[in-house]
Amino acid sequence: MSDGPAIQVTALSKTFLVPEREAGLKAALRSLFVRKHRAVKAVDAISFSVAPGEVVGFLGPNGAGKTTTLKMLSGLLYPTAGDVRVLGFVPSRRERAFLSQITLVMGQRNQLVWDLPVVDSFDLNRAIYRIPTSDFVATRDEFVELLDLRDLLQKPVRNLSLGERMKVEIAASLLHRPRVLFLDEPTIGLDVTMQRRIRAFLAEYNRRTGATVLLTSHYMADVEALCRRVIVIHHGRILYDGDLGALVGRFTASKTIGLTVEDGAADLSAFGEVIGRDGGRIMLRVPKADATRIAGRLLAAFAVTDLTIEEPPIEDAIEQVFAQEA
Amino acid sequence: MRPWADFYWTSMKTAIAGQFQYRVANYFWMIGMIAEPVIYLIVWSTVAASRGGSVGGFTPAEFAAYYIVWTLVRNMNIVFTPYGWEWRIRQGELSAMLVRPVHVLHYDVAYFAGWKVVIIVLWLPIAVILSAFFHPAFDITPLEVVVFFFAIWGAYLIRSMWQSALGAITFWTVRVSAIFELYFAAELLLSGRLVPIALLPPWAQRIADFLPFRWSFGFPIEALAGELTPEQLLTGLGIQALWIAGGIAVVSIVWRFAVRHYTAVGG
Amino acid sequence: MVRSLRVAWLYLRLGVLNELQYRVNFFVQIVQSVVALATGLAALALVFSYTQTLAGWTQPELLAVLGVYVLVGGLIKMSIQPNMNRLMEDVQGGTLDFVLTKPEDAQVLVSVREVRLWQFVDVLLGAAVLAVAVSQLGEAIGMREALLFAFALTLGGAIIYSVWLIITTGAFWIVRMEFVNELMQGIYQTGRWPVDVYPGALRLGLTFLVPVGIAITVPASALTARLTPPTLLLAVAVAAVLVTFSRWFWIYGLRHYSGASA
Repeated sequence: MSDGPAIQVTALSKTFLVPEREAGLKAALRSLFVRKHRAVKAVDAISFSVAPGEVVGFLGPNGAGKTTTLKMLSGLLYPTAGDVRVLGFVPSRRERAFLSQITLVMGQRNQLVWDLPVVDSFDLNRAIYRIPTSDFVATRDEFVELLDLRDLLQKPVRNLSLGERMKVEIAASLLHRPRVLFLDEPTIGLDVTMQRRIRAFLAEYNRRTGATVLLTSHYMADVEALCRRVIVIHHGRILYDGDLGALVGRFTASKTIGLTVEDGAADLSAFGEVIGRDGGRIMLRVPKADATRIAGRLLAAFAVTDLTIEEPPIEDAIEQVFAQEA
Repeated sequence: MRPWADFYWTSMKTAIAGQFQYRVANYFWMIGMIAEPVIYLIVWSTVAASRGGSVGGFTPAEFAAYYIVWTLVRNMNIVFTPYGWEWRIRQGELSAMLVRPVHVLHYDVAYFAGWKVVIIVLWLPIAVILSAFFHPAFDITPLEVVVFFFAIWGAYLIRSMWQSALGAITFWTVRVSAIFELYFAAELLLSGRLVPIALLPPWAQRIADFLPFRWSFGFPIEALAGELTPEQLLTGLGIQALWIAGGIAVVSIVWRFAVRHYTAVGG
Repeated sequence: MVRSLRVAWLYLRLGVLNELQYRVNFFVQIVQSVVALATGLAALALVFSYTQTLAGWTQPELLAVLGVYVLVGGLIKMSIQPNMNRLMEDVQGGTLDFVLTKPEDAQVLVSVREVRLWQFVDVLLGAAVLAVAVSQLGEAIGMREALLFAFALTLGGAIIYSVWLIITTGAFWIVRMEFVNELMQGIYQTGRWPVDVYPGALRLGLTFLVPVGIAITVPASALTARLTPPTLLLAVAVAAVLVTFSRWFWIYGLRHYSGASA
């Protein structure tokens, strides 16, 4: 079990039957007895594998099949076709040994005991996951340290702020030291500081335990901070699986030139598409192949005090991927 | 065995601590529930009076004893409602429960068992006040007390199992409230909740014999407030055990299919 | 007053249109209402298998009480309960401010925002039971009885609305009020039987303190030729006192609420 991949997915598909409702009283009555269904392919024969200790970002627009895949990996959904192995287990069998080694965090889903102090929720998870007391205390204290939870432990959950609750929620979900983490939008709705905090904690957890992490997020910052590898999924298919840096290079045909000129009002539209002005700084989108040449011309034509050539933001790259698909 | 005891004990502690915070709300809630048995008590006492003092062998004082014990049994009877599953599915709470390595139903059985401890403590003053008002006739033997203690927890388990089985229907269709209503109406009439089983027409009593309802309601009440023989008391516990075992069997089968269905179609 | 009525009418229309989208609920409601009525009838039949009269009320007369109980219960579940529940949620969630910032009487607004159309099934069923009861009684129902009944029913509705509003206004002080539903339903159940059934202190409580007894028993009396002028006067007085007090208490509560949140 220790040698093979932590997650192995082969030709995995999930088809949902969606009931079709027609308007009107008669149709509503009829639908009580006979229902029409339409098959929707949420996940369409995807394959990938994740090595132990790897942190993989799972990207795609809403409805792309991310959550469906995560649910199949955590045993909440039974695949229509294909094969899933997580730590050598078949998730849909939902064996105790499997469930004790994974965790699924879904942002904003509260599994803490609302009216009681945080420590009580922790203790409940100790009992549920049968964590030996000494391990439990050690892990709890470690997380308290890392996430700075000391002042929260005795507070009732209902009195915590959204960000505090998420910190506690994540700590509670990892008390049993799972070897595989499925994180569905773990930082959704949090402010930037709290997002950074949680990111740092997850990275540290991964470093200390060598756990495998599969993460979906709308915040590219999450992905950039945590994942070297990303899997891009759209309409249930994998469009890209590989290095995060290479994704940008491969899918974008442009670069961004940022420059500061003494004449802040200068018209640069002849050199490329002006995509932003921030004070004296101007951002230009130019074709990738021409970037150096255009930069030279800019330097020659204006009194440039500062000039950079950058890859476009990763969001743009992702957008390009989906645009190509469509 | 030890991990299970630990899980149950920890969950019950959680429930006790949480519910005790809301003792005032819990109290008002219990007071609201008292209206129902008090109405039955008054109506049947009136009927007894109009027949010269007793009806079906019950005097007003015996009705008082019956319906005062009723208040505790009714509270022991409250378990996770079958209506709650729709909410759990929709809120994603069920998914969170399913990814943890304990069967979903253990959470409810353990949590509500803890709540019951709070309920019993809060109930004692209510029983005293009701007794001062309605002058019940109690004739209690030690065996009755012991049997009653086990019978109320037996009632709790019977109802937990059968309501969980009922609630599982939600996994196939959310339009379940009509089925639930029928179930609860049958229970109201045939459990000893509306009226002691002995006052039902004979044909209805015979139907009640073959349903779990009276064993989760009428029997525990009669164990303490009635005049059951030691033999009837112990047989009653035995039948309760059978209904619990049957309930566990049905629930584990139904739930296996329910979870399979859930994982096939998604929440 | 006219303006308030127009607002109420607008909300009612919106609510009905909204409910018409969920027509399957209509059938669910029919099943629920019929089951509930059947249970009530079974209880009644059980009582009368042992006796001829209950506290001086005959079987058809008690059937009339049950009819009014179901009918008024339908009105409660259609309008009073959902509005009061929403009010409670708004107070707890801090969203009552949306109501308070509207240029209309707040009490009117919080009382008309919700309507559960399909509960009307209960009103119809209750009316049907009443009709059966009246025909069993063989009394001739003339214009006078019908008007008296309608008047008594209005009084009953006003009484129950006022009591519920008074208790719900408590939400301005007490945060957890989930028990209000249980409490009010429990109290309302007492109306299933005529108020004369209840012994001394309870009867006084159900007449003056939480006058469910009046709200159900008086309209039923109007149809069964049991209503005496003193009883009717009493009902008018109780309704007037409760409506006035609930209005005062609501304004008092609002002042406390605005003061506390400022």
